[in-house]
Amino acid sequence: MVLKNVGEATKSWTTRVEAKRERVEKVKNLVDGVIIPTNRIVEALELLIQTGDRVVLEGNNQKQASFLSQSLVQIDPKKVHDLHMIMSSISRPEHLDVFEYGIARKIDFSYAGPQSLRIAQMIEDGKIELGDLHTYIELYGRLFIDLIPNVALVAADKADSNGNLYTGPNTEETPTLVEAAAFRDGIVIAQVNEIVDELPRVDIPSSWVDFIVVADKPYELEPLFTRDPRHITDIQILQAMMIIRGIYEKHGVKSLNHGIGFNTAAVELLLPTYAESLGLKGKICTNWVLNPHPTLIPAIESGWVESVYCFGGELGMEKYVEARRDIFFTGKDGSLRSNRTLAQLAGQYAVDLFIGSTLQMDALGNSSTVTRGRVAGYGGAPNMGHNPGGRRHSTDAWFNLKTSDDPLARGKKLVVQVAETFQEANKPVFVESLDAISVKDQANLAVAPVMIYGEDVTHIVTEEGIAYLYKSDSISERRDMIASIAGITPIGMEHNPKSTERLREKGFIALPEDLGIRRSDAKRSLLAAKNIDELVQWSGGLYNPPAKFRSW
Amino acid sequence: MKSAFLFPGQGSQYEGMLNDLPDDPVVKEILEASCEILNTRLELLHSKKALSTTKAVQQCLLISSVSTYKLFEKEGLYPSYVAGHSVGAFGAATASGVITFEEALKLVTLRGELMENTCDEGYGMAVVLGLDEYQITEIVNKLFLESEPVYVSNRNAPTQVTLSGSLIGLQKVLDYVKTHGATAAHFLNVSTPSHCPLFNSVSEELLKELDKLELRRPKIPISSNSTSRLLMQADAVKEDLAKSICHPVRWHDAVNLLFETGTRLFVEMPPGEVLTKLAQHAFSEVRTMSISKNSIEDCMYVMKN
Repeated sequence: MVLKNVGEATKSWTTRVEAKRERVEKVKNLVDGVIIPTNRIVEALELLIQTGDRVVLEGNNQKQASFLSQSLVQIDPKKVHDLHMIMSSISRPEHLDVFEYGIARKIDFSYAGPQSLRIAQMIEDGKIELGDLHTYIELYGRLFIDLIPNVALVAADKADSNGNLYTGPNTEETPTLVEAAAFRDGIVIAQVNEIVDELPRVDIPSSWVDFIVVADKPYELEPLFTRDPRHITDIQILQAMMIIRGIYEKHGVKSLNHGIGFNTAAVELLLPTYAESLGLKGKICTNWVLNPHPTLIPAIESGWVESVYCFGGELGMEKYVEARRDIFFTGKDGSLRSNRTLAQLAGQYAVDLFIGSTLQMDALGNSSTVTRGRVAGYGGAPNMGHNPGGRRHSTDAWFNLKTSDDPLARGKKLVVQVAETFQEANKPVFVESLDAISVKDQANLAVAPVMIYGEDVTHIVTEEGIAYLYKSDSISERRDMIASIAGITPIGMEHNPKSTERLREKGFIALPEDLGIRRSDAKRSLLAAKNIDELVQWSGGLYNPPAKFRSW
Repeated sequence: MKSAFLFPGQGSQYEGMLNDLPDDPVVKEILEASCEILNTRLELLHSKKALSTTKAVQQCLLISSVSTYKLFEKEGLYPSYVAGHSVGAFGAATASGVITFEEALKLVTLRGELMENTCDEGYGMAVVLGLDEYQITEIVNKLFLESEPVYVSNRNAPTQVTLSGSLIGLQKVLDYVKTHGATAAHFLNVSTPSHCPLFNSVSEELLKELDKLELRRPKIPISSNSTSRLLMQADAVKEDLAKSICHPVRWHDAVNLLFETGTRLFVEMPPGEVLTKLAQHAFSEVRTMSISKNSIEDCMYVMKN
């Protein structure tokens, strides 16, 4: 029997597209085709966005749709208010100003480092309603489930008059953010630096875009991944040597991601020197998912690197990347194409290793970078820094971490945490209880903001040595391993010299001597480039450092 | 580029400091007005003897910082934000137009007198370097004695924290921290236990006095001592001016907040460069200047461009 009368006359299945048509209708006298006049952007936003909308705003790691955010903050809150913002990265003052003025009410985000004090204060004061913290890829995932945006505000370098967009090296997560709105009858508005007749290539097709507006200034870009080698310390060089010998060489790490920091910059700069002396070229570090780090230039020039896939661009590296097409992912036009979503996916499933620095770790290896009184969120580290249960394919390094002969046993992704035993001024890194717990309580978070969980950590590197945490399932033995390299922190003080000896013999920990490394060898002269100028030289003048990194 | 003017607190004063102010009719006017309001002569205000009292210190700091601020005002050079450390908050509030200079001078005079009269000798402050506020708070709580109270007061930097209370109690804590992780720990040259509950009564009296005035809405947002939020209402400023003397100065957070709002230029009013150094150390990408070190001409030049 077929039910025929049910809801025949009444239900509409096209409410979303009808609602979109109505909004677009409101601005028809304001716009010129798909172009919103620069000086009428605020007016347009007030008509295209509605109270209570879910709005995605770029807010990426590097690229900021700064013209749109500065315009959003000028909206009359009597006309549009209580927006639900969805942002990868809360970076600019106006990202939070919208909450002060009542234009926005709620936020779901991934990273808030540059505004971590303000957002903590606003949560405490009840000026902002926190949805939740996410890793990048979780947030993008929710854009298709329960955080589907009504409006996407994005930034591009260029557009043509049809609304095709060129985002070039700084494509980042724009395609993903746009997709969620474009294919769900949302409204996509892109600010562009200029409108041209012909784009170098199309990164986002015009059928995904509703409106474009020429910004008053080029969008803001942060050079977040540039590290001046001048600041690399001897200890970081020692740790880099241990990492190369005791982890990369030992397990045959060919594909990897380096988390941001001076520790990893030191590793990159030691490939053409220390790693070369070990005869490791071609055997390690061949395929990377990484932003275009200037500190990788010497390794690329020396023939270590087969490929690099990027999350985003890096200010100053554009010409170098274009001149090294065999290494980077570039379009037909020759300029870099980055994609944070795909890079995070690759970093999760398709690499042997993730390595990052941590600020605090407990005796179980749980790792956190929080500062009390601040809410900084996560970014991409937890996504890279865990052992993905869904992985099925095997590589040498992954398989090398299998510790049991059980027929169902499998390998593991290498997740390495690096820290010196003390942060500056007597703040021990190894603690009984993470500050993340206080942050959870203070900010009323659902879970404590742990960056990497101990059960995923396979290796810990301090200035004392390496703990091969993956080798043991026993909680007390893992605790011993951590204590044996935790120096004179309270956790380190509980280590028993006898058990340290035993762990060394079993190969569960390794001190520099065990790896054939003399501490006195760890000198700055080992760095392939000792300062920004030398990086420029390595690049043959192609690398163009941003002003703040120049010393000349 | 967003800028913030910083107004220093106790510690930066020195003998004859008012003679070193820029030579300008605006400054002279303020100096003369101050002498008239306080019924005294300039030499008596900043003599060595006078500056041994917190009252004169506070008066001189206010006069010095506000008179210099007025020179920027005269040129039409306004900062995006202001912030003052401890008594400096009164200079900041004056700059922001919440209170007049005369009202401020009378208030800091009262503040100084109340502070001197509330605690007898045997109280003071100390500074500890190398430990963060949580580590120090744990230690202070552990060693706390009602009879010789010690409180954690100002958070000037992540590992630069002051303590306030009884000298005997302070000595105990100093001895302890020196062998438990502090890189340095010593008494400060002040004779009052500022920014702790011992001054609750001072705060109440100040509030009564402030209640009598008609405060105006701040023209320039003020980064607050006690809450490290931006104050944009007269009532909030009033509360901060009264409350802060018995609460810790969250200076690092107050400056951090300005950094997050986009401030990239910090200019410190005279005297000294204490706040300048703190800001530069905390936020390496900002530009910091002090009138004392960089000269007012240079500071004005940077503000103009």
